[in-house]
Amino acid sequence: MLDLYDKIQEACDAIRKRWDRKPHAGIILGTGLGPLVEKINVQETFDYAEIPHFLKSTATSHRGRLVCGELCGVPVVAMEGRFHMYEGYPLKQITLPVRVMNALGASLLLVSNACGGMNPNHRAGDILFIEDHINLMGDNPLIGINDDRLGPRFPDMSAPYDHALIEEGLRVARKNDIRAHQGVFVAVSGPNLETRAEYRFLRLIGADVVGMSTVPEVIVAVHCGMRTVGFSVITDMCLPDALEPADVQKIIAIANQAAPRLATLVTGVLEADVNSRK
Amino acid sequence: MSSQPSAASGITSARSDHSTLDLKSIEFLRAHLSGFQPRVGIVLGSGLGDLAHQIVPTAIFDFHEIPGFPTTHVSGHAGKLILGDLAGTPVAALQGRCHLYEGWRMEQALVPVQTLIDLDIDLLILSNASGGINPRFRSGQVVLMDSHIDGMFRLQPQLFQSKPNDGILSRNVTLYDRTWIERAQQTAIKLGFALTTGTYWATLGPNYETRSEYRMFRNLGADMVGMSTVPEAKLAFDRNIPVLAFSIVTNVANSDNATVTDHADVLNWSSQAKGQLVPLIESLLSEYFPPSSAS
Repeated sequence: MLDLYDKIQEACDAIRKRWDRKPHAGIILGTGLGPLVEKINVQETFDYAEIPHFLKSTATSHRGRLVCGELCGVPVVAMEGRFHMYEGYPLKQITLPVRVMNALGASLLLVSNACGGMNPNHRAGDILFIEDHINLMGDNPLIGINDDRLGPRFPDMSAPYDHALIEEGLRVARKNDIRAHQGVFVAVSGPNLETRAEYRFLRLIGADVVGMSTVPEVIVAVHCGMRTVGFSVITDMCLPDALEPADVQKIIAIANQAAPRLATLVTGVLEADVNSRK
Repeated sequence: MSSQPSAASGITSARSDHSTLDLKSIEFLRAHLSGFQPRVGIVLGSGLGDLAHQIVPTAIFDFHEIPGFPTTHVSGHAGKLILGDLAGTPVAALQGRCHLYEGWRMEQALVPVQTLIDLDIDLLILSNASGGINPRFRSGQVVLMDSHIDGMFRLQPQLFQSKPNDGILSRNVTLYDRTWIERAQQTAIKLGFALTTGTYWATLGPNYETRSEYRMFRNLGADMVGMSTVPEAKLAFDRNIPVLAFSIVTNVANSDNATVTDHADVLNWSSQAKGQLVPLIESLLSEYFPPSSAS
């Protein structure tokens, strides 16, 4: 039952054989946000199939490889393509890469996603710094016997996202004339998009954006003691009284348009974190 | 005062047949108890473990000694079934429970409580430590559960087995027994404190909640949040056993001002509350289950 620790080590060993550096940060790129990888000075890549215990990414526009290299002058590992609960995978397996990033040495997690916007003050294409989250997935990656080597049994969640780094990110956004907000992300299992009544409910319980990922990874990052910054790209507005049918192509197009802005924010936050730790 | 609390409690229908459940534990316990008949079942949650010291034991079993019981494999969470007398009343108490966040399936996690029920108890007393959502609560306060919201997202297969022809929980009576709530409140007044009631939101855990989750629980009507008790209460209700559930509010969260929750604080607040809860349970038992009425 406590085999997770060994799995993490095996994955780390496989990576270290070809890329033996201590990453400053782990980066997870969500739907349509893969182009950020072009900013990385790539030193090594792994198809997920080459890393023991990694899953196969099946979701649209998720490539499924781990990119190792340098960004902002520091070593990073980036997941190009992630795993989702709606693909049928257990949350423990979905979140294994976060533990591997941490075991390789990363103390910062930068995680991005494409999400639906429910706050009428926001617009499609805006980027939201996740200030807090609500887990409505009906599951938790930490269920099972706790391995105290990996983190505490009952992790505190009073501040899962690093507020100082959110401030830095908002500063970078202002400087670069990028529309950015901070708000509450609610995670649902999916895979269907929400009904109008569900959007009303999610708004009522305090969420600004809704998505089908990120929260499991963040819970595990908190369990590992990592600093976390979450970037949500609002790819369509989900206002229940003016709801249009979702168009996946349009959503991916908006994510692609936002990718350069997301890259500016991600690198800005990474630089701020690196500078604050010099 | 009643010698038949279950009949006096508003739940009057005959106990349901639940022979479909394979409970090896009952055979084992019957064989080892030589006629000891507990009248009250008690689940001792976080921080209330000390009540176990007040029980004059007839027999104590580790969970792993009882056939069919889930084995607790986490150090410091030794599960024990204690049979003995508490304030003159024969009781069966579970010290430690199997939480869903440990990875137990629902049907495994509920075997210990199912066993208490099958020992033919007349009342099930549940207890837990919860996080306070209602800002009127203070940390260390004892609150009676009079309702719950099940946010565990888990099916409870036992509830579908017991009443093949009538498998739907009735809405006509409250799950948390009104008669026993009033008795507990009256007893608390005699002991010099007020016992308020509240709605408990059950989550899977194991992480503590985010500020946004607390706000959601509060907006949706919950007074406290925890990771247990609701499946046990549902099971007892389904089996027509009156339920009295105490929640020790350990950490009144202010969702607008982030405070770190630490398991050690939770245990500390719990032990403050036991000063009220232990005498309360003892008084209730000695008043409503006097030794003379023992079967």
